[in-house]
Amino acid sequence: MEKKHAQGKRYGMVIDLDKCTGCASCMIACATENNLAVRPDESDKQRSITWMRLYKVTNGKEFPHAQVSYFPRPCMHCDHHTPCVSVCPATATQTDYQTGIVSQIYTRCIGCRYCMAACPYHARVFNWWDAYFPKGKGLERYLSPEVSPRMRGVVEKCTFCHHRLMRAKRKAYADNRRELGEDEYVTACAEACPAQAITFGDLNNPKHKVSKLSKSPYAFRLLERLGTEPKVYYLSTKDWVRKMADNYLPGEYGPSNKTKLG
Amino acid sequence: MDSSLLPEGVKRCSPKVFFLWTLPWLGLLAWGLFSAFLCLWKGLNQTNMNDYFAFALWIVFDLAVIALGAGAFFTGFLTYLIGKKELKDIINAAVIIGFICYSGAIAMLGIDIGQPIRGWFIFWHVNVHSMLAEVSFCITCYLGVLAIEYLPLILENRKLEEIRELRLFGHNLHGIMAVFAGTGAFLSFFHQGSLGGMYGVMYARPFAFRDGFYIWPWTFFLFVLSSIAAGPSFTILCTKLAEKITRKNLVPAKAFQTLAKISGWLLAGYVILKIADTLSWLYGVVPRAGLTFMDFYREGPYGVWLVVAEIVVFGMIPATILMIPKARQHEGWLITGCLMNCTGIVLNRFVFTLVTLAVPVMPFDKFVSYLPTWQEWGIAMSVVGYGFLLFSLSYRYLPIFPKERELNPVTE
Amino acid sequence: MELNRRNFVKFLVGGVAGINITPLPWKLTDDIAIWTQNWSWVPVPPVGEFMHVKSVCTLCPGGCGIEVRKVDARAVKIEGRTDYPVNPGGICPIGMGGLQLLYNEDIRFTRPMKRGGPRGSGKFVDITWEEALDLLASRISTLRTAGRPEALAAVDGNPARSTMAITIERLLKSVGSNNYERIPSAEDTYSMASFLMQGTWGPTAYDLENADYILSFGSGLLEGWGAPGRVLNAWSLWHESPSKRKATVVQIESRASNTASKADQWVAPRPGTEAALALGLASVIIDERLYNSEFINNYSFGFDDWRSADGNNHIGFKTLLQEKYSPSRVAAITGLNPKDIVSLARDFARARAPIAICGKGKGDLNGDLYEFMAIHSLNALVGNLNNPGGLLIHDPLPLAPLGELPADAIAQEGIKKPRLDLAGTERYPYTQSMINNFADIIIDSAESPVDTLLIFSANPAFTLPDGGRFKKALKKIPFIVSFSPFYDETSLMADLILPDHTCFEKADDIVWPPGLQYPLYGLSRPVVKPLYDTRNSGDVIIQLAKRMGKLVEAAFPWETYEDILASRARGLFDSGAGLIEYDGTVPVWKRMAQGGKVKPDYATFEEMWKKIEAGGLWYRPSHTYKNWGTLFKTSTGKFEFFSTYIEQAVSSYAQKTSEEIATKAMGIVAKGDEIFMPHYEAVESEVDRATYPLLMVPYEMINLSSSWLPNPPHLNKTLFDDQLSKEESFAEINPKTAAEYGLREGDRILIKSPAGELRVRVNLFEGAMPGVVYLPLGLGHTAYDEFLQGKGVNPNDIIYSGKDPLSGHSIWWNTPVQLKKV
Ligand SMILES: Nc1nc2c(c(=O)[nH]1)N[C@H]1C(S)=C(S)[C@@H](COP(=O)(O)OP(=O)(O)OC[C@H]3O[C@@H](n4cnc5c(=O)[nH]c(N)nc54)[C@H](O)[C@@H]3O)O[C@H]1N2
Ligand SMILES: Nc1nc2c(c(=O)[nH]1)N[C@H]1C(S)=C(S)[C@@H](COP(=O)(O)OP(=O)(O)OC[C@H]3O[C@@H](n4cnc5c(=O)[nH]c(N)nc54)[C@H](O)[C@@H]3O)O[C@H]1N2
Ligand code: SF4
Ligand code: SF4
Ligand code: SF4
Ligand code: SF4
Ligand code: SF4
Ligand SMILES: [Mo]
Repeated sequence: MEKKHAQGKRYGMVIDLDKCTGCASCMIACATENNLAVRPDESDKQRSITWMRLYKVTNGKEFPHAQVSYFPRPCMHCDHHTPCVSVCPATATQTDYQTGIVSQIYTRCIGCRYCMAACPYHARVFNWWDAYFPKGKGLERYLSPEVSPRMRGVVEKCTFCHHRLMRAKRKAYADNRRELGEDEYVTACAEACPAQAITFGDLNNPKHKVSKLSKSPYAFRLLERLGTEPKVYYLSTKDWVRKMADNYLPGEYGPSNKTKLG
Repeated sequence: MDSSLLPEGVKRCSPKVFFLWTLPWLGLLAWGLFSAFLCLWKGLNQTNMNDYFAFALWIVFDLAVIALGAGAFFTGFLTYLIGKKELKDIINAAVIIGFICYSGAIAMLGIDIGQPIRGWFIFWHVNVHSMLAEVSFCITCYLGVLAIEYLPLILENRKLEEIRELRLFGHNLHGIMAVFAGTGAFLSFFHQGSLGGMYGVMYARPFAFRDGFYIWPWTFFLFVLSSIAAGPSFTILCTKLAEKITRKNLVPAKAFQTLAKISGWLLAGYVILKIADTLSWLYGVVPRAGLTFMDFYREGPYGVWLVVAEIVVFGMIPATILMIPKARQHEGWLITGCLMNCTGIVLNRFVFTLVTLAVPVMPFDKFVSYLPTWQEWGIAMSVVGYGFLLFSLSYRYLPIFPKERELNPVTE
Repeated sequence: MELNRRNFVKFLVGGVAGINITPLPWKLTDDIAIWTQNWSWVPVPPVGEFMHVKSVCTLCPGGCGIEVRKVDARAVKIEGRTDYPVNPGGICPIGMGGLQLLYNEDIRFTRPMKRGGPRGSGKFVDITWEEALDLLASRISTLRTAGRPEALAAVDGNPARSTMAITIERLLKSVGSNNYERIPSAEDTYSMASFLMQGTWGPTAYDLENADYILSFGSGLLEGWGAPGRVLNAWSLWHESPSKRKATVVQIESRASNTASKADQWVAPRPGTEAALALGLASVIIDERLYNSEFINNYSFGFDDWRSADGNNHIGFKTLLQEKYSPSRVAAITGLNPKDIVSLARDFARARAPIAICGKGKGDLNGDLYEFMAIHSLNALVGNLNNPGGLLIHDPLPLAPLGELPADAIAQEGIKKPRLDLAGTERYPYTQSMINNFADIIIDSAESPVDTLLIFSANPAFTLPDGGRFKKALKKIPFIVSFSPFYDETSLMADLILPDHTCFEKADDIVWPPGLQYPLYGLSRPVVKPLYDTRNSGDVIIQLAKRMGKLVEAAFPWETYEDILASRARGLFDSGAGLIEYDGTVPVWKRMAQGGKVKPDYATFEEMWKKIEAGGLWYRPSHTYKNWGTLFKTSTGKFEFFSTYIEQAVSSYAQKTSEEIATKAMGIVAKGDEIFMPHYEAVESEVDRATYPLLMVPYEMINLSSSWLPNPPHLNKTLFDDQLSKEESFAEINPKTAAEYGLREGDRILIKSPAGELRVRVNLFEGAMPGVVYLPLGLGHTAYDEFLQGKGVNPNDIIYSGKDPLSGHSIWWNTPVQLKKV
């Protein structure tokens, strides 16, 4: 897999959890950018559709030492033997070797949900209902033509705003350039974050900020030791937050900021 | 009134009694059909499945019936390829049970997927790396095989037999049955395994993930073994049930004993390997993922009792019962043994499906519980209803038990 | 061939085989699969020409720069601008979801209407704009001819100083009414505090980006305080890199809000005791001589004991603190540890550029005046008033006044009459408007003194923390006119609806986003043509004036509201220095600190205005720092720890009665010199704390609109299921407190206060102070559609608020409550 990617790009993300304020702009940016369906009741979190989910974590201490922090969780675009991709019987989800982007083809998905079972990050959501657009309400008027709304019975997930890549590529070809600039392809969530907590770019490109940040001693990934090789990294100086990102046997976690985990 | 359709020289209840007997099963079927209609019309929001429980009751049921249906291919394998002649007396029943299980499972899968109409994309846009693709291919083909194995039986119906072409066709099929038995066995070994593979390959789900041999995780082999261990037991159970209901002996004891013995020894072998597998998982996969055994059994109803129940209570005990000739010769013990054996395998499929999904992998993720809706139960139960119906009809109109006449001479 | 069984079977087999070698079944299979990929009920967004419109978001006073992506006429996405200095790129979730408010027809008034059923029933009948305007104009004229123009009142939620606000106030004045009510915000309290201590009414300007120690007294830096787009960016700057942190943030708040959790230090005093803590810190700073002596000795008044002209001795601020606010005493009041108070004071005073900020939560609600004065004096003590990284003192934005207000006899008579709410009278001398008193007086009078109430950009029936008092008052008011674009709780009580455009359909201005450290004028543009038959309320006011005879008309010599905007903007041009372009390379906060003059990037007013209309921006990135000699406009010309303004007010009132009675009437408990200095007044209420042993404190979230605007549906996705589950919202309770009541996670409880009760579920939260119950603001709507209606409860309904001393605003931050398990 690494070999394959070495030839192309490896788009990825670094989310600074110390900067992240838990404001959820990223969730809304994603929802509006990608035409996510919204129902009158979104409180059933096991059935509410979001590609970027905010997880609230607490340090477990007592008042007044309790602290809250957040894990914004898009799709990890797992690099090694992408769990969801390799299980999909209908090849409705693919890992693009040129970009590392794990795509989802809604019109091909048969809704078997094997990919959801295989994904430990719950990054995939299923359309349990038809999208809610009552006649006369007019809410369909804000839908963007760049992303096709999904039908009931298929799985959807974060695509790293694949259409933005296509947009950037088209522009590049137009003024015949081969390479995209770092800021030409940025995901909606990264762009929207009012605390600039999300950095997006090509992990294979040493010049890109993401590849630098991803090598920070404070960088870590979710469930790193499972070997899914996520392309989404997190930064935090808080040990209790870093410890939340993976499972550790008693005494296994070394709370040294300088050594990389996993 | 339907007497002209009944097999010769055997006694069957009156059409009226038979009709009354079918009512409950028709009821279950109706419940299932209505549920299916709702799920297809309104969507899977009719179930309590969710993004955490992407697989649920239906998949557990599918895996269970497919495993129990293994009696068909395995009995065929023993009869035609190993040449256990005595099993000829029960092979028909085994085939029908298999057919019921597989057709039922495929029907359920048809409702379970969100886009049934696109189901065939699995074949058209197949991803050869997906165990599910392999499963789909094999069970579809194998259902064909079962149909072919079932066909000659149907053709033996008294009225159909009168048609020369059909009779000849039927007899020729019989002739080459070994070929199909072989094909069936081959296909089955694979999809039974792939069903296990489906879970074993999910390397990001530590509860299910297993190391293995080349591309096959250990669960691949365990599922094959457990299915051929439980399948025959299920065949015995169903036949015994038929005998109880018809108050007749339908199959010579020898056939039962052969199956029970094999079932017992295979189960014993399975239990040993299952223990080995559990240990290797416990000291390999689990610590690698930074987890401990108890991490999987802390939450909700899923406790260590599951392991004890699966391996000791419904593994070792039935294995022992079925291996000891004295025990299995005693009908009560035979049935108990088979029943526990089958319970064990259902429990195993349940654990692999639901516990895998219920146990959170991300430390900050939360445990959610799931209870099926009546629609889900309806569809599951309708498979039972359908099974009883098809078996009853086959029994009534087809000579599925070669020795029935011999064992129950009709005295005018 | 005769059809016998044999042939039939042949036919059957042959038929089945036959059909399957034809393409028919395969074609069908394919076609229905294609059908599932093109279901008619799955919307297909029309393609078209892509456009990007630059504007400014006015969903809150923060005024972020936004760029709206359009496909032909449709707006499909709102994004932040990087060429706008307030919010380099990012925007808040509410702004992000804004289009769901624009396009949700179910919650919008699409044309003028009048009531067609009982109040609150939501039944309205269509009328034309002509009918509607005539109806209102004649009603107002009748009041005028009846000699009671003051019976016309308005409630206005537009930001203070915004053109819409002064236009509305102008309408009332020209008619002859003083009864212009504002929704009080922390900004109002702060400007009062700074007026009392430094004599200026200028906007509050925090140089956050240049500060290195931020001591926040409950300000929800991460909950939407100030200009959220700007504050969240400042947060990012403070945390630029893990290795070289730029600033220390300390949050003083009783609950582990996001700000408290993410801050470097969280200090949790009992709610309502922040003033005591501030003074405790001050006393340490003074004891340890950590204050800025240059400032204190030369530019402050009332620090040391002093003797007044009449020969009386007065104690100084220093003595007051030493006597009453020693760390141990403050510890007793706040429930904190004396050692922590001391070290906190040291850290604050020793920082290079420390700043103390206040305004609870989002700052949408008023604060505690003496508390704000106490916090303000912290900034004074460390001498960071008008210094980089400190609290800058500015003149208001140089907008041109709207010119002389011609007033006829009727109007003059009306304006002479005191305000209904008694704001500005001797009891509340420095308060501009008191909507809580307004409601009380209407409720208490036999017949409502208000005949016609106009409501602009406000939903007081939902947002006021008054235990439903305002709702009660509304019922008594004969005629209510709502200018809201939305079917909100207040509009449902209205008799006449004159719907405004939403902010995406009209031009309006942002006059100095709250807390920004430099003058900034933002102008929003209509990003889409108005979708419905609605009208800009500014235009409606002009049209109304034109219907009410010469005089009122003379007060509104403009054709459209945009003319008013332009005529005010002329002041910006006349002020000389200013820029209308920002390229994002050098942030304004950096550029200011570097100093240097600003050369306008426009030559004529027309050029300036044209460019503002295109870029939505005018700002001045320069400031004269320090300048303490001429800064303060108090009677002493100095910064006053002892407020001579308060003294004047009290003594003039006392002349009529006695200081005793006067201060009591003003709600002040303190005696002697303390009255005139920042001090802590324990909330005294007649409520029996034995029956109501706990406190209820509402809290705000950045991802839940608690303002007059509805919450965009997408934001429901961001609420956790321990905040809202189905229709039920949750109260955050400390596990210890919960244990005392035998409560477990998810249990259902009744929270009862003297003002009412609410049914919620329990969310055990270690971040909640024991003995306090926390409820989110923004849920519990009874209006709007299925996305909002009936979801959760509104804490405002049970808030039991006393009056804040001197300011008279409501004390909404600690309501005594009791719990009952159900
Ligand atoms: N990120 C990402 N994930 C993907 C894909 C992708 O493109 N990108 N593609 C998906 C697809 S289509 C596929 S086929 C799968 C492939 O996924 P994998 O089967 O995992 O393919 P690799 O990871 O390339 O190879 C697996 C391991 O086999 C080792 N190996 C190589 N040769 C041999 C051999 O002869 N014997 C043994 N025992 N090991 C060997 C390799 O060194 C590697 O460590 O990944 C799927 N997942
Ligand atoms: N060096 C090397 N080469 C290999 C392999 C290897 O291990 N190493 N593995 C081999 C194997 S196992 C396989 S399966 C093949 C896979 O090779 P390919 O089938 O070429 O896999 P991808 O490169 O992912 O190609 C899928 C294409 O679909 C596009 N795509 C992505 N998302 C979408 C979408 O949503 N809709 C549509 N219409 N298109 C989309 C992507 O841009 C990508 O170009 O590669 C083989 N080649
Ligand atoms: S937008 Fe940025 S700050 Fe807000 S939650 Fe997402 S990542 Fe965190
Ligand atoms: S996070 Fe889940 S969905 Fe995304 S690539 Fe990894 S496995 Fe697939
Ligand atoms: S649900 Fe869709 S994407 Fe997921 S595995 Fe099944 S077919 Fe593939
Ligand atoms: S990358 Fe795009 S798709 Fe993925 S979460 Fe962010 S916005 Fe959504
Ligand atoms: S912070 Fe205020 S101005 Fe900025 S986007 Fe949000 S609502 Fe609009
Ligand atoms: Mo592949």
